[in-house]
Amino acid sequence: MDRAQARRQPAWAELAFVTVLAAGVLAYLTEARGVSLGAQNLLLLQPTALLVLGLWAVVAVGCLTRRADPDAPRETAGDILRVLAMVAAFGLFIAGLERVGYDVAICVFVLAGLLIGGERHPAALLLFPPVFTLAVILGFRLLIPYPFPTSLL
Amino acid sequence: MIDTVAFGGAVAMLAGSLDAWIWVIPGLLIGLVFGALPGISVSMAMALVLPATLYMDFLPAIIFLTSVYTGAGFGGSIPAVLINIPGTSSAVATTFDGYPMARQGRHNEALGAALFASCIGVLISYLILLMLVQPIAEVVLRIGPFEMAAIGIWGMVLLGSIGGSTVAKGLFAAGLGILLGTVGMNTAGYMRGDMGIPWLLDGVPTIPAMVGLLAASQLFALVNAKFIVESKEARRISLRRILAGGAMVLRHPVTLLRGAGIGVFVGAVPGIGSSIANLLSYGETKRSAADPENFGKGEVRGVIAAESANSSSEGGSMATMLALGIPGGGATAILLAAFAMHNIVGGPRFMEQSRDVVYAIILSNFAQAAVLVVVGTIFVYGASTIVRLPLRFLIPSVLVVSTMGAFAIEGSIAGPITLFAFAVLGWLLSRYGFPVAAVVVGLLLGRLIETEMLRAWQLAGGDPWYVLNYPWAMAIVALMVVSLSFSLRRDFRRRRALRSAASPG
Repeated sequence: MDRAQARRQPAWAELAFVTVLAAGVLAYLTEARGVSLGAQNLLLLQPTALLVLGLWAVVAVGCLTRRADPDAPRETAGDILRVLAMVAAFGLFIAGLERVGYDVAICVFVLAGLLIGGERHPAALLLFPPVFTLAVILGFRLLIPYPFPTSLL
Repeated sequence: MIDTVAFGGAVAMLAGSLDAWIWVIPGLLIGLVFGALPGISVSMAMALVLPATLYMDFLPAIIFLTSVYTGAGFGGSIPAVLINIPGTSSAVATTFDGYPMARQGRHNEALGAALFASCIGVLISYLILLMLVQPIAEVVLRIGPFEMAAIGIWGMVLLGSIGGSTVAKGLFAAGLGILLGTVGMNTAGYMRGDMGIPWLLDGVPTIPAMVGLLAASQLFALVNAKFIVESKEARRISLRRILAGGAMVLRHPVTLLRGAGIGVFVGAVPGIGSSIANLLSYGETKRSAADPENFGKGEVRGVIAAESANSSSEGGSMATMLALGIPGGGATAILLAAFAMHNIVGGPRFMEQSRDVVYAIILSNFAQAAVLVVVGTIFVYGASTIVRLPLRFLIPSVLVVSTMGAFAIEGSIAGPITLFAFAVLGWLLSRYGFPVAAVVVGLLLGRLIETEMLRAWQLAGGDPWYVLNYPWAMAIVALMVVSLSFSLRRDFRRRRALRSAASPG
């Protein structure tokens, strides 16, 4: 069965994503028009935003009329969950930098990253995160002129 | 064109001074290391070593700083090829084909091509500088907002050439990038899209956003892989293959020369520099290629185009700095600061009175480019071991170093937050077939184009026909139109040929 004969399978997740982006662009255009309708404010912004909104319609139609691709690689639920776990861990790491200190946040994130990546060797899990944290904290203290909060180092 | 007396003086000056030479290799190494660290820019590397030059003589100090400049110019391409992180903003276009080459196990060739294109680019740019330093400076003085806007639009047009899975998605991503580039206060004083966040008033922090879009998003996508290069055989590091990559550069002289020409011209324009030169050169090479569909999939010409342009922009920006005393970007501003530390003022008078020193700086850069071939090859050999590291160690480590780099640039949590937001955006964009590179280019060009369009609009008093008074701007637009129409005609012919080949009988 080739792709032209395949059954229609709308790409709902992609449609939702592109719609959220288009909504953001519309909100930006509305806010900018609220600031001023003058050319000096909207010279580049307005035509570009209108172009993006027009293209949203084209992409959305493409998502709705998409046909299933029999050759597309299949992702398992485990694969997707592992990526989402890494994204979540990275988000928590960024959120925790100023709260728990850069040293603790780095050490915990590297440990979490190793576990998500499938590392199970106790020596690697125990040694790599603290050694790497020490090297990063000391190295960046030498390199950058700004102070960053740490809890232990 | 060359003042032979001053040239002879420069040769004597370099030949008689050991001090002028001993700083070249340390400078190149410092530049390579700092350039290869994501988030540490060329100018930051030069700023860090600037105090060390205070007690040196003038010429060794400048040679040391230009060595750092040359080394960092290439250093940025190493993480661009190996882990899709442009070490500096001038290595963005290197990621487009360099990283796909690395994923195919051709990291040795990609790095070799990048190194040789960089070294030859530096050589060509300084050769042009040696011959044409004065005329280049005079041309630069004529470039105003109309010309800058035309260059920006030229860059924007190439966005169309960075393909996604469909043209609509490519343009959608490019538009999104341009809009993100306009966030914050524009030069007319209007504040848009800052969402009440103080640090967004200056716009979206470009480097953390770029690293997030290109690198962090790719790292998320690699969570389920074991190594950057899947095949164990292909992970080998080979000096022979690095040199074979270098030889590929010589097989594409037109790509190399076009990149160097664009690099020198764009690098000489203050405020644009190498960040744009590599994108313009890549776009032009892809557009003029007989097989543009191969670009973005590991085409060595893409790497050569990007690297020859970003390294040759060094010579261009040096022309502006030496002849006019105007820094084209952060790196040349630090060089001017080094001039000031030695009670020397760069500019026309310096050019007139110390032409031998100018020639000595240029000649030492020829030597730097030659030394970089050796030092860079050794460095690349060591850096390539990254492809042998398991991704479960590499992913969290690179994310942490990128986060610290983002913090280093902004000096606040704004950098890491931007990195995370754009990493997620980049991951989702690439997951659904949108070209992330188009968002990056749009982000880099959005602010530049808006600023220059606004200046041009103010100068013209709102009259679009006023542009006719600016022949250079018209010439740039005309060049762009001619180049576009040639590529459209070729596309049309190729499609027709494909159709006729596919039809029966």
